[in-house]
Amino acid sequence: MKKFLTRLAVFLLPIFILIYPADLLISNFLAKSNNYGEGEVKVWEDIYTGNINSDLLIYGSSRAWVHINPQIIEDSLHMSSYNLGIDGHNFGLQYLRHKELIKNNKKPAYILLSLDIFSLQNNTGLYNFQQFLPFLLWNKNIYQYTSSYKGFTFYDYNVPMLRYLYNTSALLAALKSFTNVRNTSVRNKGYMGMEYTWNLDLDNAKAQFNAYEVKFDPALTRLLDQFIQECNASNIKLILLYTPEYIEGQAFVKNRAEMILKYKQLAEKYKLQFLDYSGDELSMQKDFFYNAQHLNKKGSEIFTNKLVKDLKLLIHKGQ
Amino acid sequence: MPFNSIDFAIFLPVVFILYWFLTNKDLKLQNLLIVIASYIFYGWWDWRFLSLLLFSTLVDYSVGRRLGIENNKTRRKILLWISISLNLGLLAVFKYYNFFLDNFITAFTFFGTEISATSLNIILPVGISFYTFQTLSYGIDVYNRKLEPTKDFIAFAAFVSFFPQLVAGPIERATHLLPQFYKKRQFSYPLAVDGLRQILWGLFKKIVIADNCAEFANLIFNNSASYSGSTLVLGALFFTFQIYCDFSGYSDIAIGTSRLFGFDLMRNFNFPYFSRDFAEFWRRWHISLSTWFRDYLYIPLGGSHGGTWMKVRNTFIIFIASGFWHGANWTFIVWGLLNALYFLPLLLTKTNRTNLGVIAEGKLIPGFKDFSLMLLTFSLTVFAWIFFRANNMEHAINYISGIISPSLFTIPVFEGTREAWITLALTGIFVLIEWIGREHQYAIEKLGLTWKRPLRYAVYYAIIIVIFWFGGKEQEFIYFQF
Repeated sequence: MKKFLTRLAVFLLPIFILIYPADLLISNFLAKSNNYGEGEVKVWEDIYTGNINSDLLIYGSSRAWVHINPQIIEDSLHMSSYNLGIDGHNFGLQYLRHKELIKNNKKPAYILLSLDIFSLQNNTGLYNFQQFLPFLLWNKNIYQYTSSYKGFTFYDYNVPMLRYLYNTSALLAALKSFTNVRNTSVRNKGYMGMEYTWNLDLDNAKAQFNAYEVKFDPALTRLLDQFIQECNASNIKLILLYTPEYIEGQAFVKNRAEMILKYKQLAEKYKLQFLDYSGDELSMQKDFFYNAQHLNKKGSEIFTNKLVKDLKLLIHKGQ
Repeated sequence: MPFNSIDFAIFLPVVFILYWFLTNKDLKLQNLLIVIASYIFYGWWDWRFLSLLLFSTLVDYSVGRRLGIENNKTRRKILLWISISLNLGLLAVFKYYNFFLDNFITAFTFFGTEISATSLNIILPVGISFYTFQTLSYGIDVYNRKLEPTKDFIAFAAFVSFFPQLVAGPIERATHLLPQFYKKRQFSYPLAVDGLRQILWGLFKKIVIADNCAEFANLIFNNSASYSGSTLVLGALFFTFQIYCDFSGYSDIAIGTSRLFGFDLMRNFNFPYFSRDFAEFWRRWHISLSTWFRDYLYIPLGGSHGGTWMKVRNTFIIFIASGFWHGANWTFIVWGLLNALYFLPLLLTKTNRTNLGVIAEGKLIPGFKDFSLMLLTFSLTVFAWIFFRANNMEHAINYISGIISPSLFTIPVFEGTREAWITLALTGIFVLIEWIGREHQYAIEKLGLTWKRPLRYAVYYAIIIVIFWFGGKEQEFIYFQF
């Protein structure tokens, strides 16, 4: 038995010695991937390495991510800009990005917060969990915010390399990043224009449900309140947005009026601007959308130009 | 608790340490530890089904004790039938109830009588067919006086629930495994090292080959209507390797794990895809089940002692029973029937015991005849697996119709073709290793035993890295559902 245990220990020793540095190495290279996790990893890495340092930031979900092109904002307003929209996540994860950004980058002058039907809805699944992989073992805040979701196990957070087990795509992405081969960017300052045409998402949703009802999570509502107060206290100018949503999709949401009213009341309570593009002519034109919630690239460029005009006025007024 | 989980990676060393360091001085305590560990292992899936395991254990222990003191033939027979009925009754309720009900309704509807009955939403307890057959073997052996009934309930409970082979075999005979619980186990260094090596190879088969093949087999089988004939052939091939590596990988891990605890389990696979005919295939595939059917069904039915008709009848019965054992679906029955048909020519020409040795023994390359026979047997096996994998008979027939089309001669195209080529390459390497190691208990049993330790370790590290890097998406072991 002694011989068996000694030999086993000798065999396992290199694995135990190398497992931690290997995790560090893979995580570092993966974090530098320009396209892993739909490019979200790159955004997190920009946040942690202090590469954002922008005057104007865009917060929100995928609707922020694919609707607002920061390059157009930069070119028109001569203000550095970055899109921090996070696909598939509500305000909880959006707030985590904000907290991490403030810690590692200069404070922005403006934040555009894109609100939508999912902003204050509870979400149990950790969508696009791949984006957290390089930071999971090394970042307490990521652990704090993501551990309540279904996605990672206790072992993933605490045992090195385990989250990369059988994860060929992550290992390949780390390798591509290391060799800088096919490590092409999929985003520009966080934004990604979607060159898609209208798909069947809305038809499928209609076939599955009669209507959609937004359910507000009190904890997220409180968090949004807290965030607004923090922005006020830090002298960050916050502008609330409701970006274009295709008219048929608007009709599909049963309590949409209640939701918009809630956002309006929030803006009034804190004397914020609320730019609602639900009624904009863009919301009536199917050609500019690829589903009810998302503008395609062409639509997003038209929308960003409109937004820039409105922002110019607001900034000019000093609001 | 699946073998390919982190939970098991923690569970195994903990039980190993408790087994050899805390309970090793007391055999009863050691057996009790096995029972507790096995119940934790099984309860990890669904603790509610522990009651079934306990029920099966209590029934057969009690029947065994009664059989031990009962000499009256009729009463002995009644006791045996109590054991068989209760064990098969559990299977009938949990595995076959809805199947019988659906077919009963269909049959009545066919004859013009509409009857209504509600099918039940029954969850199939993991491994129920395995431990039921294992406990049945005990009752039958005691009845046939091949085995003394045990008075040691803990040893019997450990035999029924022994965690390495509880949920997917090998289905042990009481005559082989039960006596091992009566004797003090001695730790053996070569056995333990060999066990670890077999576990490693089993994990490679399951995680690298089976799980990767599963992704493509599932993709192609689940969308078979949209693929070309050549892609469907590839899908069947992926499933062929998936099921072999999944199941034999499990058996390797089970046997290896048992060795760590000083137990010897029966061999379950012996390189079946290198068989030259179907008799040889069935001597090499799921050996513990084939021999179970031989010992407890084929021989009691008269075996091959009667005339030709008797042999044919008995062969069909065991193959159909074997198909039905796998699940309550006509596809499994047809799969069994097809194998019986494959077997039939060998039986009629009395050539079913021609190929008893290892193919091309001592040679690197097989002769043309052996190779052709092996290829033919393999191709027919692949064809039969289509029925096994299909969701229902209509799916199987459509799948085969899809293959027999002009698109059979096109290049296979499907999502993830690049990854599929990697999987095929890995499978090719795997087949090569299996071929080289086909004369041993498992492919890497003797691999590099004469090499220097650093080189040998390097090979093991390489296997670990391949598992880590190329492991497929985690899939449940196929045979858990049986």
